[in-house]
Amino acid sequence: MDDCTSGEEDYYYSDRDSLDGLENDESDVQWVPPKGPSSKVITKESLLAAQREDLRRVMELLSLREFHARTLLIHYRWDVEKLFAVLVEKGKPFLFDEAGVTVVEKDDLDSFIFATVSCDICMEDVPGTAVTKMECGHNFCNDCWTEHFIVKINEGQSKRIRCMAHKCNAICDEAVIRNLVRKRHPDLAEKFDRFLLESYIEDNKMVKWCPSTPHCGNAIRVEDDEFCEVECSCGLQFCFSCLADAHSPCSCLMWELWTKKCRDESETVNWITVHTKPCPKCHKPVEKNGGCNLVSCICGQAFCWLCGGATGRDHTWSRINGHSCGRYKEDREKNAERAKRDLYRYMHYHNRYKAHTDSFKLESNLKETIREKVSNLEKKDSRLRDFSWVTNGLYRLFRSRRVLSYSYPFAFYMFGDDLFKDEMTNAEREIKQNLFEDQQQQLEANVEKLSKFVEEPFDQFAEDKVMQIRMQVINLSVITDNLCKKMYDCIENELLGSLQFGIHNIAPYQSKGIEKATELSVCWNPKDENTEKCPTPYSPNGIVTEPGRPSGSGSSYEGGCSSRNKRPRTGSLGSCTIDLNLPADVID
Amino acid sequence: MVDFARVQKELHECNKDIEVSGISIKLKEDNNNSLTHLTGTIPGPLATPYEGGNFNIDIVLPDGYPFEPPRMQFATKVWHPNISSQSGAICLDILKDQWSPALTLKTALLSVQALLSAPEPDDPQDAVVAQQYLRDYQTFAATARYWTETFARSSTLGIEDKVKKLVEMGFPEAQVRSTLESVGGDENMALEKLCSG
Repeated sequence: MDDCTSGEEDYYYSDRDSLDGLENDESDVQWVPPKGPSSKVITKESLLAAQREDLRRVMELLSLREFHARTLLIHYRWDVEKLFAVLVEKGKPFLFDEAGVTVVEKDDLDSFIFATVSCDICMEDVPGTAVTKMECGHNFCNDCWTEHFIVKINEGQSKRIRCMAHKCNAICDEAVIRNLVRKRHPDLAEKFDRFLLESYIEDNKMVKWCPSTPHCGNAIRVEDDEFCEVECSCGLQFCFSCLADAHSPCSCLMWELWTKKCRDESETVNWITVHTKPCPKCHKPVEKNGGCNLVSCICGQAFCWLCGGATGRDHTWSRINGHSCGRYKEDREKNAERAKRDLYRYMHYHNRYKAHTDSFKLESNLKETIREKVSNLEKKDSRLRDFSWVTNGLYRLFRSRRVLSYSYPFAFYMFGDDLFKDEMTNAEREIKQNLFEDQQQQLEANVEKLSKFVEEPFDQFAEDKVMQIRMQVINLSVITDNLCKKMYDCIENELLGSLQFGIHNIAPYQSKGIEKATELSVCWNPKDENTEKCPTPYSPNGIVTEPGRPSGSGSSYEGGCSSRNKRPRTGSLGSCTIDLNLPADVID
Repeated sequence: MVDFARVQKELHECNKDIEVSGISIKLKEDNNNSLTHLTGTIPGPLATPYEGGNFNIDIVLPDGYPFEPPRMQFATKVWHPNISSQSGAICLDILKDQWSPALTLKTALLSVQALLSAPEPDDPQDAVVAQQYLRDYQTFAATARYWTETFARSSTLGIEDKVKKLVEMGFPEAQVRSTLESVGGDENMALEKLCSG
C-alpha cells in the first residue's frame, strides 16, 4: 500500500502528541497473539547474511569450520534446534556420522606426501602433488575428483557430494570442490556455490521462495510459526504455509478445496444432475419443461420421467402403457435430494463470499476518492487537523471485508460434510454453527455500517457533522477489529481447537493486517554485541537473527538501531491502527 | 568420454584371475569391438539353485564411466526376486545411487553374484518371483533350478570350458574338439558320442 506518507505523519503525530501513544503501543502488542511472527525478506544479496547466524551458532558450539557446519545444517534441514537435540541425545560422533562430517587435524592431512601415488579410479600412477586427500582419509588424483564433482553437480547433488570411495559416507570439502571445478568449468563452480547458498531456502521449512510470477527473486523467512501470512517486498501477500493467496481464517486445506470447487464446473454438473435426466438411448441430459411424465428426447426415444427408464409412446395422464415404477426406491430419491441440497448450500456460501470479495475490490477504488476528500478537508481551515481516522477507517474496512469474505468458505467446510463429518454430532454442529453465525452477522452488520460512513461525502459537510462521522468511523473501526478478533477466537478455540484430528491450522488474526516482511540487512556483523549474548542452543526465540527486534519488549531500544525499529512501524499502513485506539478511548 | 585406459586395465585385471573368481568380461562381438559394450559372465554360486549355471550379463558403459555406474542386465534368463524374469533388469543399489567410482566392473559383477546367493525379496524387481520366494520357497527353488538348467547351462559354457571338462574326463583334446564341432557344441551329445566310440 502506498500510504507511506500518511503513515509517517501518524507516527510523528502520536510521537509528539503524548506519551500515551507509546503505552498504547505496548498494550497493543499484548493483545495481539504474543508470538507475532516477524518475517524477513531474503534477497539474492542477503542470502548469505541470512544463514550466517545459523552457521555461526553451530560453528561456535561444536567448534567447527564453516563447511562442516553447513554440511550438518543441510543434513538437518537448517533446523538448529533439532541438530542440537540430536547432539544432546545421541552425541557428537553420531551427529557427525549421520551427516557425513569427518573432522581431522590439518597436520594429519599435510603429512601425506609421496613421490607418486596410484589413483584407484583411473588406475594410473600420478605425482603426489596432483593428488588430493579428503578429510575422510581417501585420496585420489585431482582429475578424477574433478570429474566426480562435475558429474554430481550436474546430477543436482551439489549439496551432498560424497567421497568417491565405496561406502564412504563423508561429504567432500566444499572448498576443494570449488577450487578443482573452477579450474575446468568456472560457471559450474558458480552454479555449485549457488546451490549451496540456496539450500538455505530449498531445504528449510522456515524459508520459502516468494510465489510471485514473474518471480521477484526474493525468499521469505518466518520465525516460530509457519502458519502465517506475509507480504513480500514485491507487494505480494500470500499464505506462507501453502503459498496460495492469503486466505485466513480458512485453513490451507479448506482453501484448496474451495478454490478447486469454484474453479471446477462441478456445480454446473450438479445442476444438471438435479434438473435433468439422461435419455436412456442417446444419454444426453434432458430437461422436462412441462407436461406429463412421459418425456421424449430429441432423438425420438420416449422415457418415464419418474424412473428414467425407456418406455413406449402410449400413455394416459396417469400412467404410461405397460410401464410401472411406482415402487419406492429410497436411495435414488435421497441422492437427488442431497445433490439439490448441496448445491443450494454451496450457492449460499459462494454468493456471500463473492459479494464480499467484490465489495472489497470496489472499495479498493475508494482509496483514491478518500485521498481526495482528505485533501479537500485539509484545504478548509478547520480545527480538525488530523485525518488519520479516515485512512484508519478505510484500512479497517478492507481488513474486515477480507476476513468476512474468507469466513464464508470457512463456514462452508466447517459445518459441511466434506471435512468434519465424523468430528461432531448434528446437535453439536448446530450449536457451533449458531455461535459462529451470530458473530459473523454482527461483524457483517458493523462492516456495512463502517462502509457507509467511510463512503459519505464528508468533505462537503459542516464541521460538526464531520466530527460526528469521525466519531462513528473511529468507533466502528474499533468494534469491527474486536469482532474480527472474537471471531478468530471462536474459530481457533471453539471450532478448530476442539477437533480430534487437528490438522487445520490457520494464520492468526493480525489486527494490523498481513505482516510486511522486512528487508534483512546485508551488512550484518557476526561480532555484534547483542548476538553474543544468545548463542545458547535453546534460545526460546528459535532463530535469533536481528538483534534489534526481540519480541515486543522495551529492551529493543537499546539495540542502537532505532531506524530499523522505526521502519516496520512507519512503513506499513497497518501501523496507523496503533493510533486508532487512542481517540476511541478518549471519546469513551 | 569413457575412460578407455581404465576399462582396458580393468579387463586385463579381471581376466587375469579368471581361474579363481570364475568371472570374465569380454568385448561384445557384434559391436565393432567397442569398449563401451561388454559381456560379463558369472558362475552361479555354489549351494544355490543357480549352481552349475553360467550367466551372461550385458554391460553398457555410459559416457561418464567410471563416475556414472555401468548399466548391467542379465542376458541369460534367470529366476530371481531381484532380477526381472522378462528383461533381465537388475535391482542392485551399487548399480544405482550407491555406485562409487572406486568400484570396478569386476566388483560390480561380484556383487551381482552375491545377489544371486542372497536375494532380497522385500525389495523386489520381479514381484511374481518375490511372492513365490516368500510364500513357497520349494517351488521357487525348483523353478530357479529349472531355469538354470534350461537357460544357463549349455549355451553359456564357452567352448573352451567344454573342451576342458571333457579332456578332464580322459578324452584326447583333438578328438574332443572335433566331436564337439560335429554336434554343434552340445556337451551332452558330444559326451555320448565320445563314449560310444
